[in-house]
Amino acid sequence: MKFFTKEIGSYPFGVWIALFALILIFLAWLMQAYSLINWEGAVKLGVQDESFTGDMTERAMADVERGVAIADILWALPITIIAFIGLLRKEFIGFIAAMMVFAICVYFPLFYIFRESTSFDIVLAVIFLWAVPSLFGISGLWMNRNIFEK
Amino acid sequence: MIKPTIITWIIAIFGTIIFLPLMVAQLIMILKPQSQKTKDLIIGKGEDWRDKTHFKSALAFAWADWLVVLPLFILGNLGVFNGQLWGYVLWLALGILSVYFSILLWILEKEYTYTKSGWLVYYTYFWGFFLYWGIAATSYSILKII
Repeated sequence: MKFFTKEIGSYPFGVWIALFALILIFLAWLMQAYSLINWEGAVKLGVQDESFTGDMTERAMADVERGVAIADILWALPITIIAFIGLLRKEFIGFIAAMMVFAICVYFPLFYIFRESTSFDIVLAVIFLWAVPSLFGISGLWMNRNIFEK
Repeated sequence: MIKPTIITWIIAIFGTIIFLPLMVAQLIMILKPQSQKTKDLIIGKGEDWRDKTHFKSALAFAWADWLVVLPLFILGNLGVFNGQLWGYVLWLALGILSVYFSILLWILEKEYTYTKSGWLVYYTYFWGFFLYWGIAATSYSILKII
């Protein structure tokens, strides 16, 4: 794990990993924002799985997904922005906010896996785009926690 | 070394009071998802799953809670009472999840649970306590480690 502390340019490698993970997560929030604006368009793009024009079960699932999207935009997106700016400025608040975002992004892939009804593509996407990078982000930041100014 | 204070104790005890019953209910959900006892605990006395989606979401939350929330809570408490930075980081992670669920459940479940339980139960142990704990744990941890 020593490579996480190796300096590459302005930041140690572990911080670059965390920044990269946050960019991936930020893309997820952008997709959620787009879904809230145009849900059926997001379904056509493959960003969302369930349509409000389907049968009763599909509509109920779409309702859950919309709830998740609203929570992401209201709560997780602002924290992600604080995390990204904070990490770039090497401020401790960035370290804290990033850890918070990563916690959400580790929890929710598990929810999708155990719910079973989520399509396999979406499960793979949430694991490899958010859960795994978040776990690396947590390790990378923890190894470099001393560089952040309080 | 970050010394625990009386507030640390209050947050930890309050957390135990709300998370312990939740974890017991979630364990019963994992072990006997279709039993009436589970439905009584998770949805309400004599109630049934609204549909397949409701059931699958509840089961997924139960597994995710046991795999993420419980370890975060136990390890967080251990770390905090040992004065360790990582303990507060774990409290922060759980606090943020707690607020996140509260927003999510407000959007998804309020129309069902609020009507059945009434405002007092809803704004306390059905929903409110998790939001209050999340806000308290997050704010306190930030203040302690910054």
